[in-house]
Amino acid sequence: MSSAALLLGYGLSLALAAPALARAGWPERAPRLGIWAWQALTASMLLSVVLAGLVVTVSTAPVSGGLGDLLQACGLMIRAHYEAPGGPAVAAAGSVLALAVAGRTGWCLTGSLLGARRERRAHARVLALVGTADPVLGVTVVEDARPAVYCLPGLGHRIVLTSAALAALEPKALTAVIAHERAHIRGRHHLVLAYAGALERAFPFPAIFRAAAVQTRRLVEMAADDEATACADGPLPLAGALLELAGPADRGGGSAASLAAGGDVAPRIRRLLGPRRPLRRAVTWIGAMAAGGVLVLPFVLAAHPAVAATSVNACPLPYSQVPSPSTPCGLTAASATW
Amino acid sequence: MRGFGELEQAIMDTVWAAEAPVTVREVLHRLTAERQLAYNTVHTVTEVLHRKGWLTRAKDGRAYRYRATRSREEYAASLIDQVWASGADRTATLVRLFDELDATEVAELRAALAERAGGDRS
Repeated sequence: MSSAALLLGYGLSLALAAPALARAGWPERAPRLGIWAWQALTASMLLSVVLAGLVVTVSTAPVSGGLGDLLQACGLMIRAHYEAPGGPAVAAAGSVLALAVAGRTGWCLTGSLLGARRERRAHARVLALVGTADPVLGVTVVEDARPAVYCLPGLGHRIVLTSAALAALEPKALTAVIAHERAHIRGRHHLVLAYAGALERAFPFPAIFRAAAVQTRRLVEMAADDEATACADGPLPLAGALLELAGPADRGGGSAASLAAGGDVAPRIRRLLGPRRPLRRAVTWIGAMAAGGVLVLPFVLAAHPAVAATSVNACPLPYSQVPSPSTPCGLTAASATW
Repeated sequence: MRGFGELEQAIMDTVWAAEAPVTVREVLHRLTAERQLAYNTVHTVTEVLHRKGWLTRAKDGRAYRYRATRSREEYAASLIDQVWASGADRTATLVRLFDELDATEVAELRAALAERAGGDRS
C-alpha cells in the first residue's frame, strides 16, 4: 500500500474518532489533557492530508543540482519506494492539495491571531482611559451595571471586573474568580482558542474541526476552573461566583445578558459541586504520550518508504561509495523491504 | 510612554469631572494641584486626545475649549458591550467568566450549592 493511501486512511480514521472523543467523559476529569488531545487530533489530521499530498509528488520530483547529482542514486531509490500509480496527474493533484491545505491553515491562523491582537489592543486603549486600577486586587475596574469578569490576555495582560461584579462577589468568590482569569492568562488560553477557532473557520467540513473548537472552548474553562479551585478555598467559592455572575437578569442592566449565547456554565457549576475525581497522574501521562504518538504518526507513515530505501546498501549514507543509478540493486532492495 | 498614557488618563479624568468645556489652561490648573506640569506638555497631549477622537473642541476667543466626545459611562458600556457580544462566537480576544442561566437552573444550582456548603460545615 502506498504511503499516501495510508496517510489518507489515517486522516479519515482520525475524523471518525472525533465524535467518540467529544462524547468521552475523561476530558472533564483532565481538561488539559483533553485540550492536548484535540490539538493533536486536528493537527495530525491536517498533517496527514498535507503529507499525503507531498508524498505522491516525491515519485515525480526531479532530482537535480550538485547535491542531487551526488544523491541521485539515493533519490532514485527513494522515488522507487514512493512509486504510486497515477503518475504526473496524481502528483500535480497531490501538490495542489498539500499547498491548499497548508496555505489555508496558515492564512486563517495568522488572520485569527492578528485580528484578535488588534481587537485586544483597541480594547486596552479604551480601557486605559476608562478603567481604574485596583492595586490591591491587581485588576482594572470598569463602571458598569452588568456584572462581568474577563481578561485581556497576551502582552500587557490584565484582568477586568465591572463595578457590579465587584459589588456582587464576596471576598472569597472574588479571589476564586480572579484566580480563574489568571489561569487563562498563564495557560495562554487565548492562543489555544485562536488555534481551534482558526481551524474551525478554515475548514467547515469535516466536522472534526467544529467539534474540536466547541470542546476546546469548554475544556479551557474547566482547566481554568481546576486551577482556580486548587489555589482558592476549594470549589465552592468559584461555584458561588459563577452562579452570581451568570444568574438571570434580576439586576439593573442584566437584560443584555441575553446576548450571550452559550450556556455551558451550568455543567461547569455541577462539575464544581460534584465529587472531584481527577485522572491519576500516570494515566494522564500515558494519555499525553498517546496524543503525542497520534501527532507523530503521520511523519512516520510519510517517511517509512524513504527509511526503507536508506536502510539498504543501495542508498549509502554517508560514508560508503555512491553506486551508479544503473546498478540493479533497486530491484533487490525493493524486494527485500516490501 | 507609560507616563504619557498616565497623563492622557489624567486629562480625560479632568475633562470628565468638569461640568463645562475646559481650556488647556484650566486643565493644567487642575492637574498642577497634584504635580508640576508644563503648559506645552498638557497642550500637546490634549491635542493628541482630540486627534484620537476622545475630545472635541470649539473656539472660544483665542483658545479652544475641549469637552469629551462621550461620557466615561458610555465608553465603559461600549467595552462591556464588546465583551458581552463576544459571547456568541467567543473570539480569542477576551476570555470571559459569565454566561446565561435561566431562573430554574439558578434555583436548582443554588440549592445544590447550599447543600454542599452545609455538608462541608457539618
